[in-house]
Amino acid sequence: MATVRRGFAREIASLEEIFEFLAEFVNGQEVDERTAFCINLVVEELFTNMVRHNVGGGDEIVLGVDRVDGQLRLELVDSEVEPFDLEAVDAVPVTAEIGDRRPGGLGIHLVRSMVDDLQYDYRTNDRQMRISVVKKLET
Amino acid sequence: MLEIVRNDDGVISLQGRFDASQVEAARAILTMIAESCTLDFAELTYISSAGLGLLFSTQKRLVDAGCALKLINLNPHIREIFQIAGFDNIFEIA
Repeated sequence: MATVRRGFAREIASLEEIFEFLAEFVNGQEVDERTAFCINLVVEELFTNMVRHNVGGGDEIVLGVDRVDGQLRLELVDSEVEPFDLEAVDAVPVTAEIGDRRPGGLGIHLVRSMVDDLQYDYRTNDRQMRISVVKKLET
Repeated sequence: MLEIVRNDDGVISLQGRFDASQVEAARAILTMIAESCTLDFAELTYISSAGLGLLFSTQKRLVDAGCALKLINLNPHIREIFQIAGFDNIFEIA
């Protein structure tokens, strides 16, 4: 098992550091190219969602990455925030014509489509949101 | 980092990573497109929903004006993202 965990400032500009953090992990774990692309995307979508919606939260959002057997486990933890249930995000009408499409909700749609498991948890005593993702490695 | 370069033949080349931190700089360039043109993704390695959203709004504006973007040379990962997003119905992809 390999585990890394780090806090990142609550701002979009943190993405560059996050991608470097993920690249370092991926390079040390011989993760396949498609999975590496996928975890970059998933982390960006969830992190930027927290930055945009969890206004007034703590200074940092914590990102953890574990490799356990044949899968990667990602976890993003945001504290001092209000609940935001990913399940409440409307489905994106991906087959609609351009005139009937709106850009919103696409990030969560991509995340749901690309991972093997997505769990949302909210703790009321310290107002902590935790999103956990499992992505199986390509064989 | 994302770079957007207009080539001599009029094709616009996107190079690097099109993530949420690059959207505002990209918006300043893509809003200047006023006619049909080709975007070359050969050197684009990554795109997220932030980049997709900006491409979508650019395409919608152009389609409303009777024009459109054509996308070429998508790598397999970006092509997969376009398919999941249903954007292969919205853009001509070659």
